[in-house]
Amino acid sequence: MRTLLVAERKGSELRRVTLELAAKARELGDVTVVEIAGERYSPLPFVSALAKKVESEKPDLVLLGATLNGRDLGARLAARLGRGYAADVTDLRATGNALEVSKPMYAGKVRAKLRVDLPAVVSVRPGAIPLRGAAEAPRIERIDADASAEKLTFVKLAATASAAKRVSLSEARVVVSGGRGLKGPENWHLVEQLADALGGAVGASRAVTDAGWRPNEEQVGQTGKTVTPDLYVALGISGAIQHLAGMTSSKVIVAVNKDPDADIFKIADYGVVADVFEFVPAFTEAVKKARAS
Amino acid sequence: MKILIPLKQVPDSTVRVKVAPDGRSVVTEGITWSISPYDEYAIEMALERKDADPSTVVAVVAVGPARSRDALRQALAMGCDEASLVVADAAAPPVVARALAKVVGEAKPDLVLCGKQASDDDQGFVGPALAELLGWPHVATITKVVPADGGFELWREVEGGHEVWKAPTPALATVHKSEKEPRYPSLPGIMKAKKKEIPERPLSALGLDDTGPTWTVLSMEPPPARGGGKILKDGDAKQIAEQLATALRDEAKVL
Repeated sequence: MRTLLVAERKGSELRRVTLELAAKARELGDVTVVEIAGERYSPLPFVSALAKKVESEKPDLVLLGATLNGRDLGARLAARLGRGYAADVTDLRATGNALEVSKPMYAGKVRAKLRVDLPAVVSVRPGAIPLRGAAEAPRIERIDADASAEKLTFVKLAATASAAKRVSLSEARVVVSGGRGLKGPENWHLVEQLADALGGAVGASRAVTDAGWRPNEEQVGQTGKTVTPDLYVALGISGAIQHLAGMTSSKVIVAVNKDPDADIFKIADYGVVADVFEFVPAFTEAVKKARAS
Repeated sequence: MKILIPLKQVPDSTVRVKVAPDGRSVVTEGITWSISPYDEYAIEMALERKDADPSTVVAVVAVGPARSRDALRQALAMGCDEASLVVADAAAPPVVARALAKVVGEAKPDLVLCGKQASDDDQGFVGPALAELLGWPHVATITKVVPADGGFELWREVEGGHEVWKAPTPALATVHKSEKEPRYPSLPGIMKAKKKEIPERPLSALGLDDTGPTWTVLSMEPPPARGGGKILKDGDAKQIAEQLATALRDEAKVL
């Protein structure tokens, strides 16, 4: 199988998902890695440049990370080229002239296996394909975004006040989320300090983002982000079915909640029935100590 | 100004989705159906434009099974002006996009708002594919639309903030969230919606080419059961915190 992998960076660093996919693509056969160079992602210039590359190389499979931009680019590319398509898959393998992919459906409440005709475009969920050992940096060919295809005008970037220098939520290996049990935005330092001690990203339940305590981009769950970190820590989150859908595939789940009957404990690997205000500072200290020794 | 929203009817987000005995679909008997959540945000976003400018016409369309008319009726009750249905029992997403392109060609909206993905297959294909078929630019995963000179300013949520893009008319955007939570239908809204006609036609009436690549569900299963977790309760907060940190480091190996 010949794969064209679309690399993505965050700042100057390659995204982890690009390394994950490079390893997977090598398992499947030959791989060419391309990066589309443009000031920022925009669908038409990126699709136009990528479609030309795909038409000249004719790979069986175009692989992208199922990131914010990767999912959008993949969908429009598949439509332009009339290719088979699957988004946000968690595994894939070749079966003759088709691909078999696994993917969550119904917001994570169901795992489905799909057959996708080749040639295809597939986006893969960050963190779904484990990186074994040190990731080998792939050789990357740069292609220029096709500025002549642009029909939009970029106006400005409006930064979120709380935009922290933390890792991105969708790709983080550790996520610490806070819920209504935190009682108010003024207590978020508890979530942030624990996230910093763990080197993780900060998330929130929908109740919290709806109340305006935290920005929407931090929402984990059915209408927010789906995350699959190695460690998910839920602080003061009861575990509504919509929240569980967004984090139930995490490798290890820790729940801290005052209510022993909270649904979150049904899926947690480690549960602590405690007041978050008392427990979280102690846990943050314990994590620092455990990581230092 | 006319805004068109293609919508999909899906199992309500509170439904505990179960895999059917055939192992490749989900149980649909007796479940509650709703407008897919991101489509609902798109409707709310359009209705907020209509609140600001009452001359705005908000239309919804579904390409789906006959039961989708309930979702269209719901959209009318929320305050949408027009609804129509293209009846198709199991149209592949590329065919849905082609059907919608025909509908857009007839309805000639200034703006098409699509939910960023339907909460059943979670593919997120139809919005960008529709823009591609129409030859329109699109902006993905927006949270706000503001009419601007000759077009629209579209706010797109990215890591750390919002990108603001200007699109000429007509434009398409996929919607991540609306500024406010989707409104509930009002009683007068429900009464008015009951009287409105929802024109229906079969997919075949659009004379579409339904060839092309497919993706087929081979099997479905529930996510692996979790549980059998430990509740740590021996000692005070500090002692439990230390046990937990040690377990995460030495047992779960995630620290």
